[in-house]
Amino acid sequence: MEYSPFTTWILNNGVSSQTLELLIAIALLATLVSIGRYIFGNKTYGIYAPIILAIAYSYTGLKYGLVITAIVILSTLLSYSVLRKIRMHYITRIAINYCILTLSLTLFLMLINKYGLTLENMVNISPLAIVSIAALGDFFTKQYVKKSLKTSFLTLLPTIAISALGWFLITRDVISTNIINNLWIIPVLILANLLIGQFKGLRIKDLLRFSSILNEKDNA
Amino acid sequence: MHKNTFKDILGLNRRNQEYIRPHNPPSAKAVADNKIVTKRILKKEGINTPDVYKLIRSKKQLQYLDWSSLPKSFVIKPNKGTGGNGIIVFYGKRKGENAWIRPNGKTMSQRDITLHIENILEGRYSMGSKKDTAIIEERVKIDPFLKQYSYKGVPDIRIICFNGVPIMAMTRLPTKRSNGTANLHSGAICTGIDISTGITTYSMHIPPRSLISDTYEMIDKTLDLKENKSLSGIQIPNWNDLLVIALKCQKVSNLGYIGVDIAIDRDKGPVVFEVNARPGLGIQVANQAGLRWRLEKVKGLEVRSIKHGIRIGKNLFGGEIEESIESISGRKVVNIVEKVCVYHKPKVSDKKKKTKIKIDKEFTKAFLDTGVLSTRISTQLASRIGYTDVNKYFKQLETPKSFLTFKDAQEYIDIQGQKIINHSDIVRLAKIVEDGQIVIRPVINIHIKIARDKKDLNAVITDDIQYPLVIGRSELTGYLIDTSTTFK
Repeated sequence: MEYSPFTTWILNNGVSSQTLELLIAIALLATLVSIGRYIFGNKTYGIYAPIILAIAYSYTGLKYGLVITAIVILSTLLSYSVLRKIRMHYITRIAINYCILTLSLTLFLMLINKYGLTLENMVNISPLAIVSIAALGDFFTKQYVKKSLKTSFLTLLPTIAISALGWFLITRDVISTNIINNLWIIPVLILANLLIGQFKGLRIKDLLRFSSILNEKDNA
Repeated sequence: MHKNTFKDILGLNRRNQEYIRPHNPPSAKAVADNKIVTKRILKKEGINTPDVYKLIRSKKQLQYLDWSSLPKSFVIKPNKGTGGNGIIVFYGKRKGENAWIRPNGKTMSQRDITLHIENILEGRYSMGSKKDTAIIEERVKIDPFLKQYSYKGVPDIRIICFNGVPIMAMTRLPTKRSNGTANLHSGAICTGIDISTGITTYSMHIPPRSLISDTYEMIDKTLDLKENKSLSGIQIPNWNDLLVIALKCQKVSNLGYIGVDIAIDRDKGPVVFEVNARPGLGIQVANQAGLRWRLEKVKGLEVRSIKHGIRIGKNLFGGEIEESIESISGRKVVNIVEKVCVYHKPKVSDKKKKTKIKIDKEFTKAFLDTGVLSTRISTQLASRIGYTDVNKYFKQLETPKSFLTFKDAQEYIDIQGQKIINHSDIVRLAKIVEDGQIVIRPVINIHIKIARDKKDLNAVITDDIQYPLVIGRSELTGYLIDTSTTFK
């Protein structure tokens, strides 16, 4: 593949094309999260979780990624529900949660290997991607413990939605063919974030939340 | 009446950028986020807060906690907790056991409570999961009147203040689902309060199976009580005191935009639970009104005192909002009977040939009367501020006691006026109606200070006024007159 002179210069100075693609993906995904937060009002598990999740999905594929996510959440939920009845410190509880998650994922991979369940080639999936998705369990539990199960699920869904959208963007060859040769897009993303950062208007979620106020009523 | 549009609603983006960031300095936010420091500051100002029984800062302190010294009922809360997380209320103690009873009837043993406190210390409920301090404090006893609207918990009243003016208020009523807490997301009811009267208006709650958080549903009666009562039209007790406390909290906390949570204790009266530097926006739903237009109205307004702030809030956001109120922004709000400073006529002293000019002043009540054009001053006040000569001079003149018509009076002024105006302090003569008769009176130039504005104005000396000074509409351009109360 032919690169622009500027991209070639970067690639010749110690940055691999894969690293550059990944770094551009991070910038894109971060902007996506900020649009989701300040324009739509989607609450996610911070900015880190959706970025890592989207990148992990790009390695696992969305279908496999979502299945692993479901296993992580189910296992976390199940183990936490049991463990919360036992008196212990918070970190030890999370640690046990991870131990159970390790067992669940191992068992799951073995079951897939044996029975297929319409999921093949799980063996080829990058283990680091699985580990990245597994980290979601921690975010989920923290929210569950601090707020409620409902709040945690309501944060999980936008996180997965934004990650899936991110996965869609970064797997369309847009980055590897177009953006990598048009690196001016990064300052444009900075500018876009500066503008979003100044945005004072109502978020889409605010509009839904306060729509009842607009029902032909006069102020008290 | 104000009709709600999208522009009137305050969203999170604008709240953060336009109100919290510019008006709440980081140091003030840090104080508000720290319940212990907030309590200390409020106490210094004589504002009641729940008494602290114990502060536990480390596991060692927890290890040596004297459990027997704890009362039957108390509350445990994290010092830097958010959204009511980590707060546990205990209503009573099991006989012969070290176990305390929660509002839902379940008990927590000493070991359970120790574990909860350890979690608080580890920062499980604190902002940013930082290490925290556990507070064991007095449980506020529910006011008998509000008890009939609440399920096993203390209702709290949130008042949002901005620029020294109470903007919006609501009360949060615990329900069975909220387990006795006033947390809206747990199922408590929020009820809007009319700022002017302290009477409840609309009531909302988040339905149990609501898929989207913050989706409110209107209700008109309490929930889970033996006898469910109507939620609208409740007069919140001590309403004026609550407004004063909220504004005092704003003053001492240095937060320009603040949410103050106040509960009414059976014995102590109003107690401040906490001050919030980032108050939520759900209050708009409870009041069925947007916050933004209210905040815009008071932005930049000159508020001279807590009482003044309350009057502005009550007038602007109370039940009766005139259309003409649109013009208030940027104008000074004054009372119909306003305290003004009247400067005396300069006195010139010549002690040892050093000429000195002395100007005394005095405060008096002025009635702002838009029904008359000119300003009037009583003979007594005029004499006091140094115009005795004018009164004497005018009395000795043989002017007709009254005129049949204004035309006659004007003719007299045209002919004789110049002679009379020879007195250095008389600016001109004015024809006015006094005791039902048309008379002419001298006009003097006085210097006053009203709402921090210094003004030179011409005043007719007369005895036919009920206040020492009556300011006519010719001098009232640029002011908004608060007619709800009189100066005390």
